[in-house]
Amino acid sequence: MSIPEIEVKEDKTIKELMDELQLSTAPILLMVDGRIFYPDVIKGRRLRKEDKVTLIPLIAGG
Amino acid sequence: MKVRRIEKVLLYDEGAAEELNTEEIAKYLKEKLGKAQVKVRGNPFALWLEKSSDYARKLASIKIQDVNRQIAPEQEPLYGEVSYEERRILGKTKSFGVLYDGFQLQRVFSELIAREECSLEVVHIFFTNRLFATWEENNNRYHARTSMYGIPSVISTTGLVEAPAKPREYYLLKQQYEMLGKDLLELKERLKGSFIDYGDERLTEVIKGYAMQAVFYHLVGDPFCEDKGCRLYNAHWQEELIFAQLESEYEFCERHTRILDNLRRK
Repeated sequence: MSIPEIEVKEDKTIKELMDELQLSTAPILLMVDGRIFYPDVIKGRRLRKEDKVTLIPLIAGG
Repeated sequence: MKVRRIEKVLLYDEGAAEELNTEEIAKYLKEKLGKAQVKVRGNPFALWLEKSSDYARKLASIKIQDVNRQIAPEQEPLYGEVSYEERRILGKTKSFGVLYDGFQLQRVFSELIAREECSLEVVHIFFTNRLFATWEENNNRYHARTSMYGIPSVISTTGLVEAPAKPREYYLLKQQYEMLGKDLLELKERLKGSFIDYGDERLTEVIKGYAMQAVFYHLVGDPFCEDKGCRLYNAHWQEELIFAQLESEYEFCERHTRILDNLRRK
């Protein structure tokens, strides 16, 4: 487990990125431009090539 | 391994068990973390009381009715359920017994965090007595949990009692007690100490380890360790929990001790 940062390869929406990474239903937060969001809140937001997105998985214990 | 910087750790008491001493946990975290500020914030709903009915509705709608059925996204709660949640938010009751969807509960709690403090450099830890569970795809049912790690992290004092399995002997004897109609409190007394129970004086010590799991989630992205003697061990049995948090000869494994040592030196 880790908190990876990925670089966007081409212009796309957050929803398209999540679908591409097969994370559409995963419990996860995203950090975009230094701010943290649940992906569905910003699903229509457009990312540009070379934008950085941090994937923050939510983890259950016990 | 990349180790992130932690600026602050904020502890919130969302109706956790009375025997939990959050000040003692704050002191422990300060010792472990060196320069990071550690603050106790109290009830996270305190600043949002004018929105108590909205939050009450949200909490009531993430209640698990049947552990074998995943909750619907827009579940419509009953009036009595909303009213119970509002009483809890307003501090008029600390009762527990409702089971919540863990990821959804974490999401409701995330709305209580100020935007400027929502970052990986600020660790938010909510202590609660609410019991939560997460849906497991592999066997299509909810499983009770002790903790959720994210922004915020949520640690359940009820979950520490209910989620990790008790010793096998407990379940065997429980069947016998039930068949014979004997008092289950007598069984708990017989096996006292072998699991964390309600009103347990060891609770604060145990939760120090879970708070450190939340800290490591921010530091390295992983709250857990494979070492059964490390406080970051993800215990699924009460025996494992007691060993990792109370009986192990060391607090943290070598790798995690090294990370903390480096942090204090910075």
